[in-house]
Amino acid sequence: MVKRIFKMCPEFEDVMPEEYKQLVEDGPYGREKGVTDLGSFKELIEEHPLCAGCGLALSLRLIIASIPVPEDTIIVGSTGCSSLLFPQVAIQNIHSIFGNQNAVATGLKRAMKLRFPDKTKDVVVIAGDGATADIGLGMVMQSWFRREHITTIMLDNEAYANTGGQESGMSYEKKVLNMAPTGKKFPKICLPEVAREAGCDYVATVSPGKPKRVQNAVRQAVLTAREVGPSYIQIYSPCPTNYKFKSNQTNAVAKEREKEGTYRMVEYVSDKARDYFKQFKGEEKHAKCN
Amino acid sequence: MSNQQVLNPDALFCNTEKQDMFITGSEAVKEAIKRSNVDMAISYPITPQSESMHLVGDLYAQGYLKDYLRGENELAVMSEVAGASMGGVRVFTATGGPGTLRAFEMFSTWSGARLPIVCAFMTRGLNSPLTIQPDNIEMAHILDTGMIILHAENAQDLYDMLLKAFIVAEKPDVHIPVGVFADGFFVTHTRDRVRIDPESVKLPPYDPYSAPVPVIDMENVPVRLMRDPFVMKSNFISYAAHASWQQEIMAAAMRSRKYLDKYLEGLMDIHNEKAKVMVVASGTAVSQSREAVERAKNEGMDVGLIKIKCLRPFPVEKIKAALENVKTVIIPEFNRVGWLYREIKSVLQKDMEVIGAPRVFGGMTMPAELILDEIRRCQNG
Amino acid sequence: MRNVTNIRMSGLGGQGVVTAAHILGSAATTQGFESTVNPFFGAEKRLAPAESYVRISDKCIYERGEILSPNIIMIFHPHVITMGKCYTMPFFDGLQEKGIILINMDEMIEFKQGEKEQLQQLEAEVYCVSATEIASKVGGTELSTNMAMLGGLLGITGLVDDQNFEKALIERFSGGKFVASATTAALDDAVKGKYNRTAQLIEKNMEVVKAAFKSVRKYKLS
Repeated sequence: MVKRIFKMCPEFEDVMPEEYKQLVEDGPYGREKGVTDLGSFKELIEEHPLCAGCGLALSLRLIIASIPVPEDTIIVGSTGCSSLLFPQVAIQNIHSIFGNQNAVATGLKRAMKLRFPDKTKDVVVIAGDGATADIGLGMVMQSWFRREHITTIMLDNEAYANTGGQESGMSYEKKVLNMAPTGKKFPKICLPEVAREAGCDYVATVSPGKPKRVQNAVRQAVLTAREVGPSYIQIYSPCPTNYKFKSNQTNAVAKEREKEGTYRMVEYVSDKARDYFKQFKGEEKHAKCN
Repeated sequence: MSNQQVLNPDALFCNTEKQDMFITGSEAVKEAIKRSNVDMAISYPITPQSESMHLVGDLYAQGYLKDYLRGENELAVMSEVAGASMGGVRVFTATGGPGTLRAFEMFSTWSGARLPIVCAFMTRGLNSPLTIQPDNIEMAHILDTGMIILHAENAQDLYDMLLKAFIVAEKPDVHIPVGVFADGFFVTHTRDRVRIDPESVKLPPYDPYSAPVPVIDMENVPVRLMRDPFVMKSNFISYAAHASWQQEIMAAAMRSRKYLDKYLEGLMDIHNEKAKVMVVASGTAVSQSREAVERAKNEGMDVGLIKIKCLRPFPVEKIKAALENVKTVIIPEFNRVGWLYREIKSVLQKDMEVIGAPRVFGGMTMPAELILDEIRRCQNG
Repeated sequence: MRNVTNIRMSGLGGQGVVTAAHILGSAATTQGFESTVNPFFGAEKRLAPAESYVRISDKCIYERGEILSPNIIMIFHPHVITMGKCYTMPFFDGLQEKGIILINMDEMIEFKQGEKEQLQQLEAEVYCVSATEIASKVGGTELSTNMAMLGGLLGITGLVDDQNFEKALIERFSGGKFVASATTAALDDAVKGKYNRTAQLIEKNMEVVKAAFKSVRKYKLS
């Protein structure tokens, strides 16, 4: 997005909505803002319609604040709790159908390459665990096999939350949920490893309990997708409603699971991606470079 | 290719020196896409469609298209073309039969998102049991997805309709997808004489900023879609939003009529309009009916023929008017359910004999004799 | 009245019934006739039954799909008859009265008694040609069997003339101007490999056509 598009015409300033003015004057477009600046600038995500203490809301706030060049980023989402929130994000985003997010992103990214050959348009998929690991797994993996230059971020709340807390492939073994009345019969899908083997050059699991790690992962993942190949981030976003814990315990639950080793935080970086990152060493906000 | 001359659609459709080629329907698809200034095509194999998308792949190799890939299944392919179309490029794909049903969720999604995608459907039977033979039952399913639905009689129609589909689909007051249907094998695999425009011309490119909905390229002003989105909410604003949106898609299809009327020279053709017995058909069934009607005439019977070219928007008033004084209507179809019979029946108010026969399905051709039998029956009865 | 010739070609997958139909239809349109050509619609594999259909008319052609009542039936392989590798039983099902049958027959085939009588009742004219033998001897490859069959057909009916036939051959094998399906394309490469050069391929094929043209003979039913 060229700056002149969002600069306000002085004659109209007084009639523009306050919200719009704030975005233009104090938003993150074209500025170096990150998770450590939260609370000091107008964010691209405004309020949210999700449950109190929702891990997704927390994760999304951090992800959106970490996106390196929001003014030239497009998000592809999917059906689920997160699709309730996306209309409130001031980055163009797509909801198509449940599970086809990586296929939509494939077409979109290629269209962006055709239409803007001299400009980078980052395409970031952000979808839930059901959308990514179950119903959409084929399309997710095929986009990795094809080495599409897109970043895939899974908001992992370990259940189908929007439909009332059913078991997903990302729920852990033995967990009793709807549609798993006697407990889940198979282990949590090891999607980070699947992603690595399927050709992702950058893979990381993170949780909102560690915002700077989230930011680093998002920026490296987007950078990887620009120049090297597909990238995958899995962000653990506990669900207080369906996993039945207090809404002020979300981060504590995430930290506890990490500590007890039932949610493993990993990072896989391909040699090609590692070489690519080297050139940015020393630059604090390296991924901002466009 | 880059040395093709861009012609405005009217000039390309009407004023170019056309030449005859002896080609199959699949090759007609290639010739149409070659002149359609398509940016990107995405393919997936399914008989009887595969060959057409091989040939579109050849066009990519020759530089006529900027991007081409084989997707992983039809649902994914329809999603991929959706993403590309939202991103503001002109896209093309094709499928048929089981592929159509595999991809089904995307067709109404395309319409709802106002995507001007052109998709060719080469119809075939549906499982079970496994079949790859001709049958157009899939059209019964797709009529109410919000897409514009054209039905080609032969390779010539397929060529003409595809070129014109892009222009109609992309009109700002239309801007919804167009499905161009052709009966698989009878059209795709049959070699026939087709009149083709010169290789040196192509349609103007798509202008994404003419769309009635924002192109998703992050070149727009920063907006939140809404503060309290009506998505999945249970309130009256939410219901009204969805209801009016659906009506707007229907209205867009209605607005396409003026363009379709012009480019297709009417949504239907009538031959021998004064006849009391009228055969009404679409697609390959029209060809079989032409043969039957001619033989009937040779036997001294007075029979007319209506060819329906466009099923959505359905030419309701035109059909009513054309059948006003007709005694019996015969509707031959290449499917079991008789979807065209249902469509015609739904617009006829007065009591009129409507014969939903012959219906040929499962793969066989429709012998003209079967239609002739129905015509004879009407004449005698 | 329109004068339509309906030709059904039955053979085994890989013998080139589809290509033969294409060339014949193409030659007919070049000569100013209307023609449509289509294969049998299925996932036919090598040596499985395969059929293609050609309609040739002095005016327009409306009907599409397989031909149910042919004037001419061409049998590309004896197994179509002797082993029932055929879509219809008997192999001449639907043949119009006084219709023509051309059979690729190196050795004499005896028809079943009932079939013989039916053919006589239809007043069918049955011809045979040693198409495979001619293809091997004159063309140097069995792959030209379909050309020999077309030569035989022209010997009986003179549907199209030599020049237009050769034009259709050139168009079919000179690349670029036609498209073969994936498996047909692979076979085409095999054929081209045999002859090295397209020109030679066309020349040899024409020799096959001419040889078959002359050697077609009538089969006595009684």
